[in-house]
Amino acid sequence: MTANLSPSLWRRWRGLLITLAAALLLPFVVGLLEGQPPTAVLANSAGVSKFVQGLAIEVFIFALYALSYDLIFGITGLLSFGHAMFFAVGAYLTGALIKSFGLPLWQTLIWVTFASVLQALLFSVVLPRVKGITFALVTLGMASVFHLMIMSRELGEFTGADVGLQGMIKPDFLNPATERLRLYYVALALLVTMYYLFKRFVDSPTGRVCVAIRENEGRALMLGYNTFRFKLAALLLSSFAAALAGALYAIYQPIISPHIASLGFTVTALLIILIGGVGTLQGALVGALVYRLLDFGLRRYMGESASFVNGLIYVLIVIFLPYGIVGTWRMKSLQLRQGWAKIGDAIPWKPNDGAAR
Amino acid sequence: MSSDVIFEAVNLRKQFGALAAVDGVSIQVRRGSLHAIIGPNGAGKTTLFNLMSGNLKPTSGRVLFNGRDITREPVHRTIHFGIGRSFQITNIFPSLTVFENIRLAAQALGRDNFKFWRSATHFTRYEARTWEVIEQVGLTARAHTAARTLPHGDQRKLELGVILAPDPEVLMLDEPTAGMASEQVPELIALIQQIQKTGDKTIMLVEHNMNVVMNVSDTITVMHMGKVLAEGAPAAIAANPAVQTAYLGGLYTLSF
Ligand SMILES: Nc1ncnc2c1ncn2[C@@H]1O[C@H](COP(=O)(O)OP(=O)(O)OP(=O)(O)O)[C@@H](O)[C@H]1O
Ligand SMILES: [Mg+2]
Repeated sequence: MTANLSPSLWRRWRGLLITLAAALLLPFVVGLLEGQPPTAVLANSAGVSKFVQGLAIEVFIFALYALSYDLIFGITGLLSFGHAMFFAVGAYLTGALIKSFGLPLWQTLIWVTFASVLQALLFSVVLPRVKGITFALVTLGMASVFHLMIMSRELGEFTGADVGLQGMIKPDFLNPATERLRLYYVALALLVTMYYLFKRFVDSPTGRVCVAIRENEGRALMLGYNTFRFKLAALLLSSFAAALAGALYAIYQPIISPHIASLGFTVTALLIILIGGVGTLQGALVGALVYRLLDFGLRRYMGESASFVNGLIYVLIVIFLPYGIVGTWRMKSLQLRQGWAKIGDAIPWKPNDGAAR
Repeated sequence: MSSDVIFEAVNLRKQFGALAAVDGVSIQVRRGSLHAIIGPNGAGKTTLFNLMSGNLKPTSGRVLFNGRDITREPVHRTIHFGIGRSFQITNIFPSLTVFENIRLAAQALGRDNFKFWRSATHFTRYEARTWEVIEQVGLTARAHTAARTLPHGDQRKLELGVILAPDPEVLMLDEPTAGMASEQVPELIALIQQIQKTGDKTIMLVEHNMNVVMNVSDTITVMHMGKVLAEGAPAAIAANPAVQTAYLGGLYTLSF
């Protein structure tokens, strides 16, 4: 038993460990490719490496944000159209507390955590009453109110209204201009930590019940689970991760754009996990990478027609990889190793599978 | 006499618009008995089950379990009282494996549901219980198959396994053999009887197969158009002219 424990643990984690190693080395490898010595990379001097670090930080932010959406939608089956608010509250609160109230970062993060709990509770208030698409619309309503508040002239002093929140003094030790390499590693560490936490959660008795709720809430109730509590747990964790992603966004981006509070930004999260694989967690990481790089590459090389081609690619992905990249890959490897299937593990899932009941 | 009754419906009514699907039904289920509910399609059997298991709230009337009024309890409490309920239409977690379907049922009554920092595989007692149940219902070879890809008969076995896992005092089985190939039926019925006898369980059974009902039941309640038409031992029910008429008027004939 113990003899084959470690190889299976290795098999289970190797993909991520290799990716992690690659991410750790990335700034230096890119630097070397350009002929920049590691000392120059360490000194944050201008160059391709610094640019790539910036792009990667954006990928990490998207990944964390999409991860948080996968937990409530992909794992627990709660369709929220208000998820952008979870992110935007973190971003705007960070921006406003640092800029207008001069709070240090650590105090700001405490407030962000506090706000993330509150917003999860706010969303959960309607949970016992509304299901499915109604929940989506109610959450959209709440997020829209927040979006309007951000954009309003009354709060413009703090939020920058429709031009966005600008001129926040970045914390010295994480300044994206002068300390980008550190910010890169902090963002990476945050993503890895949250991913690990999420993975633990999903594998835990609590997370397993969340999957059961996605599969068939009525049955989960009959089994004796008070499903509300599990949905609340998922919402709390999701909201916390999204708000942290938002805080990171506020630290990295020169302008906090009101776009991040819009429905479009919720759709971004949905799109990322559709590309990567709904309910797989890893899909959020892969999807964020693909999403950001596609957007970057197409804009750079295709100019005007970029968003059209972009849309087309997404449609093709969703049609030909209905379980997303990770989901489809898992499915294939499951078929290859039939009979090996892990105990209790969920079979890849796509949103309309449940309706087939 | 009254402590002999474990589960009781008192004058239950359920109104769907103009239709009273259950119309003033009182029944007393004796501890350790196998109590069958029969009646033509649409008689209100499933609705009665839904009322007693907390899936539906009655328009009026009460549900008592061990003398305690549980009428207004939320549905997720039902199994905590010791009442397990299976469904006429298979009601499982389709993308999860057989193992996980039953493991979730085994985990539910424990105190580990919110240990979110621990892997579920750490809690070996639920896994041990799961293997026990899987073996009991004869799905060992299928343990790692996704529930939705099981043949129908195996899904029915899984449906049964899911309510056996928490080991409830009362099992409410709504047409457990529905849609099963006829050669599989005796096996499942034998299993149900064995559970009742060896586990000292009380079973409420809705079943259309009269052979089965007559053979296994201690008490039979006949429902017709939302009301109790007759109640008694199998022999008495078989001889009851009103029952014969109800069935002859409906889709089923009584034949033994
Ligand atoms: N949720 C509902 N809304 C409206 N009418 C309902 C509902 N559930 C059941 N009914 C009606 O109530 C009556 C009793 O239905 P029920 O399912 O309890 O019958 P049954 O005895 O279980 O029948 P069967 O043998 O076909 O399973 C039927 O006429 C049915 O159409
Ligand atoms: Mg029925």
